[in-house]
Amino acid sequence: MSPRRTSMTPFSRLAGRCLIALLLALPFTTHATQSLRYPATPNGDAASPLVIHGALDLPQVRPLLDAFHRDHPHIALHYRNLTTLVLHERFLQAPAEADVLISSAMPWQYRLANDGQAQPLDTPAARRWPAWARWRRELFAVTFEPIVMVVNEAIIERFGEVRSHADLLTLLERRGESLRGRVVTYDPAISGAGYTYAIEESRLSPRYWELVAALGKAEAALAETTGEMLEGLIEGRYLVGYNLLGSYAQERLADHPQLKIVVPEDYTLVTQRLALIPRQAPHPEAARRFLDYLIGERGQEVLARDTPLGAIHPSLEGPGTAAALRRQRGEALRPITLGPGLLATLDDLKREALLTRWRREFTRRERR
Amino acid sequence: MTRGDSLSRRLLAWLLLPLLVLGSLMLLQAWFEARRTADRAFDRLLEAASLAIAEQVQWQDDRLWLDLPPAALEMLATDAEERVFYSLVDRRGRMITGNAELPGDDREAVSDDDTLLYRDIAWQGLSLRQGVRRTRLEEWQLREPFEVRVAHSREGRDALAAELWRANLAMILAMAALAIVALLLAIRTALAPLTRLRRAIRSRDPRTLAPLELRLPRELAELRDTVNELLARMRRVRANQERFIGDASHQLRTPLAGLSARAELALRQDDPARWREALVAMQATSSRTARLAMQLLSLTRLANPEYRPELTPLSLNALAREAVREHWSACHRAGVDLGVETVAADVEIPGIDWQLAEALGNLIDNARRYGARHVTIRVGDRPPSLAVEDDGPGIPPARRLLMLRPFHRDRDDLEGSGLGLAIVDGIARTHGARLVMSAGPGGAGLRVTLVFSGDTP
Repeated sequence: MSPRRTSMTPFSRLAGRCLIALLLALPFTTHATQSLRYPATPNGDAASPLVIHGALDLPQVRPLLDAFHRDHPHIALHYRNLTTLVLHERFLQAPAEADVLISSAMPWQYRLANDGQAQPLDTPAARRWPAWARWRRELFAVTFEPIVMVVNEAIIERFGEVRSHADLLTLLERRGESLRGRVVTYDPAISGAGYTYAIEESRLSPRYWELVAALGKAEAALAETTGEMLEGLIEGRYLVGYNLLGSYAQERLADHPQLKIVVPEDYTLVTQRLALIPRQAPHPEAARRFLDYLIGERGQEVLARDTPLGAIHPSLEGPGTAAALRRQRGEALRPITLGPGLLATLDDLKREALLTRWRREFTRRERR
Repeated sequence: MTRGDSLSRRLLAWLLLPLLVLGSLMLLQAWFEARRTADRAFDRLLEAASLAIAEQVQWQDDRLWLDLPPAALEMLATDAEERVFYSLVDRRGRMITGNAELPGDDREAVSDDDTLLYRDIAWQGLSLRQGVRRTRLEEWQLREPFEVRVAHSREGRDALAAELWRANLAMILAMAALAIVALLLAIRTALAPLTRLRRAIRSRDPRTLAPLELRLPRELAELRDTVNELLARMRRVRANQERFIGDASHQLRTPLAGLSARAELALRQDDPARWREALVAMQATSSRTARLAMQLLSLTRLANPEYRPELTPLSLNALAREAVREHWSACHRAGVDLGVETVAADVEIPGIDWQLAEALGNLIDNARRYGARHVTIRVGDRPPSLAVEDDGPGIPPARRLLMLRPFHRDRDDLEGSGLGLAIVDGIARTHGARLVMSAGPGGAGLRVTLVFSGDTP
């Protein structure tokens, strides 16, 4: 899609593809955990292993790893794709297993760094990284993913455009009957991401609770993952999806034109994947090189061009970057603040209190 | 200090050293002060955050309940991006919620009400500042105590402390620089009179012995006065020397003029008998003059303070006998009875034989010349002494000291030079001996005694 892609020699690209195809053909991908391996090319240098644990699906992470492996062929990469929960728990069990952790569970990643579990990265790229997208030099936000709504064209045709939360609220309040059971959103009780968005939205505006009540009134379906919601939307079970991860939606809905992705105009939450190097990383040198690449211009370029994750690097512009999204939505973007406020999200009592409130608002109609 | 020892360097060292110590102490104190100030400022954050949390604590479902305000935690983190920890602890010390099991504070609270205790803790390898708020629920029935513990890492505090300290550092360094400049100026000013004194001494005519006239601070004025005293002594010494030279030339001129007159008188005559008579007289005069010149020479030598001859052990008895042997015939011719009285146990003193022999010779000669009939050399042993007694006319006690001055004569006659006793005095001083003049035996005559100290140099 971009002219740079042609700058790679077709041969090397072909070789890379063949290699990966070969690797995938071998039983490297287990059923329990998806993983990718790039063996080090023996060219004299001592091979250095690098273990990355990420909550980032293989199609999205592959271009990143490909590029890195081309630049550093002596590093034997091993990427494990885990869910955020497994990733976190696995780290607590074996803090010296992975060299880099990438996860979209921002509070958990933040908590690890806050507890001193991360080691700092002091490179020019780290110093240039925007302050709002890092915490100290230990925790780096590497992606910029808006939380979006997905609306079926049928709804737009019948009830008009849905451009904002306010529009959605109006739609639900007026047409709740016709949308009964056809709206889907995260269940904050079982989904960490859904809970995080709920807590952020409730902080942004008390009207969120009206929205929750309206969702409850429309007997909205509750899902655990964005994938689940997308599936239902594609199948036509749901007509409106609320709070989906934009990056996944963009990729999955590329060939489903009847489903329109709406980046809300009034406010748009933005979630970010946070990367850190554990203090006890077994191969810190390779880890630093990878993280430096990830927040460097090269890694961010790949991120913008070949993935829907959204690049943050301030010097990058054009499609797939935070700068482009900012131009489009400007003030409405609300990136989740990378700060101690995230710790409150993890507070058990807080969670209990929020979920209680959420359930109460969601089931308000029943009490009437 | 050996090389380069200088007053200004000494002053500088002794003033700079305390200054440096003082400066370091000030810097240290400034550092502690900066830390305290930074802690005070940042402790307000702990206070506000713990209060914000405590206000949200409720009693719900028979237990403590907290709806944690995220802002309370964000309060604890400044631009320095501190690590933040909190916990809510019930009356039994059980953690209700929180992200860290922070330790409690054992200190007794000042009062039972809401209290807040701060302290620095080391927690899991992190250096934290902790605030523990002890308070209680204020509900209608229930007064349940609980503790809110908040802590954050020290980056913000350290940065502020360093900033405050740097500001202080600049001030203290500026003060130190000023102090050193003032010190250098003060030392220069204080030592300026010394330079003036040196210049004044250096620019003097080397021949003048006039006193220094110079306004100086008290300490240096004492030095100036001491120098002036020395100069005054030197003036007196020089006056003495000039008088001595004048006297000596006068003494030498008189016999030489006599010789010249006598020769001229004889040349006018043709009688060889007269010539012979004149020659005899001239021979006597010239030999006397030669003796005078010799006496002058030895007196000059004795008066030289840098003349330090080698002293050898001498027997006083042997000296006395030798003197008698030498002068006996001359005395005998003049009808003078010369005797000696030695001691049984010989006494030895360190001395110069020819000088003591000269002294005895002078004394015997004087006695003979001034009309003594009996002269006795007496050796004493306790303390060691040599004395010459005579039965001549003697000298009245009031005039005895005067006799020691060169060219002073009791009577005006041509025979004596007036140097004899002065030379004896000089010899006595060379030997560290005392010259004592007293009346002779039976109250008549004169006794001149050289009293040696027991262990003369």
